[in-house]
Amino acid sequence: MGWSIILFLFTFAIGIISPVSGVGGGVLFVPLATLIFPFHVDFIRGAGLVMAVTSALSSIPYLIKKGLASIKIFAVIAPVMVITSVVGGFIGLKVTSAFPGGKYYIELMLGAIILLVFAVMMLSKKLEFPDVKEEDMDSWAKSLNLRGAWYEPNLGRVVHYNTKNTKISEVIFAVIGFIAGMFGLGAGWANVPVLNMLMGTPIKVATATSMAIITANAPAIGIYLTKGAILPSIVIPSVLGITIGARIGAKVAEIIKPVFVRYLVLAVLLLAGALNVVKGLRGLGII
Amino acid sequence: MTEHEEVKVEDMELVFGKTMIVFTIVGIVMMVIPAIFYLAGVRQYLPLSEVSKYWAGSASEFWQNTKGIHLHGYGWIFNNLFYTDILSMLGVLLLMITPLISMLASMFKASSKTYGILFLLAALEFIISILFKTS
Repeated sequence: MGWSIILFLFTFAIGIISPVSGVGGGVLFVPLATLIFPFHVDFIRGAGLVMAVTSALSSIPYLIKKGLASIKIFAVIAPVMVITSVVGGFIGLKVTSAFPGGKYYIELMLGAIILLVFAVMMLSKKLEFPDVKEEDMDSWAKSLNLRGAWYEPNLGRVVHYNTKNTKISEVIFAVIGFIAGMFGLGAGWANVPVLNMLMGTPIKVATATSMAIITANAPAIGIYLTKGAILPSIVIPSVLGITIGARIGAKVAEIIKPVFVRYLVLAVLLLAGALNVVKGLRGLGII
Repeated sequence: MTEHEEVKVEDMELVFGKTMIVFTIVGIVMMVIPAIFYLAGVRQYLPLSEVSKYWAGSASEFWQNTKGIHLHGYGWIFNNLFYTDILSMLGVLLLMITPLISMLASMFKASSKTYGILFLLAALEFIISILFKTS
């Protein structure tokens, strides 16, 4: 019970930081919980995945209604991501149960992935309104009518957008699905740059559509459920904490400067990634 | 012009969103309410003291140590619904299949045959993924 309360407070804090910094809760939760809590990484990844999917499910309907989340883009990506996220979840659990020291391999890989997230966040630029002209659209984007519009209150008008590079994006989303399933990270950190910089969707559409795409990782929850890696005493405080925290965080985001929080989160990710790598290497007897 | 006059969201997208919100709310309620009883000590399949004793081990070690069993598939959930902690897993199950239900619902409102096929394909993969785990 004591750990459940600490877990609730921990995820509550992540929930507040997450909307302010623009980093998904799962990306912060999994590496930090691995370092702080006594639970095995299997249970942490299971909880991380349920948290990521639940918060995405809660926000998508509103974003669809506003025209921000594109279910057309989701429909194109989902058939690829459903499969790869399940394969990722399956391999992740196999590694920890079938190999001696499998836990340390997972920690090592998790650390490497977190450092990759850090690099992506540092280097990626956000394109608010990418200019994708009709002639830039690929054949898939044209035939599937992968375009849309939403009302942008800051501009006081409706913004229309087109998309491009559908085929190469499919391949990248397959890899993202695998990583998300394997580590229970959610995938917003990777979805958003691909949707924004490669497919050319405006940043707001990319962020909203990313939430829909995260739900394509939902079948990976089944992997964790069938192996008993989802425990109510870990999952419920985490889901409640992040849900309540995120509501407060959304309000906090309106009043504080996000730059400081962003740098704080980057520092935390760098530290968590490095510590996971060290833990993994130490567990394997390499250092 | 208001946003409602200019921004047109396709029917299949609206159906997707509406289905999703209904099942998400039901799923969260089904997950949280039994869990509150569980944390309060009512009809526990896994006593909390046992859980905290073994949660440092992998999932397979955990179940071996607490119940002496090797879990496979979803049967252990449906066979133990009398316990509050297992009952809350039903909510997680519902949340897991909520995207599937939403895809099936929007399939019937698909704006083109291609989208219908894409939703059907993703839904079939979803179902196969579930069967794959239980086999």
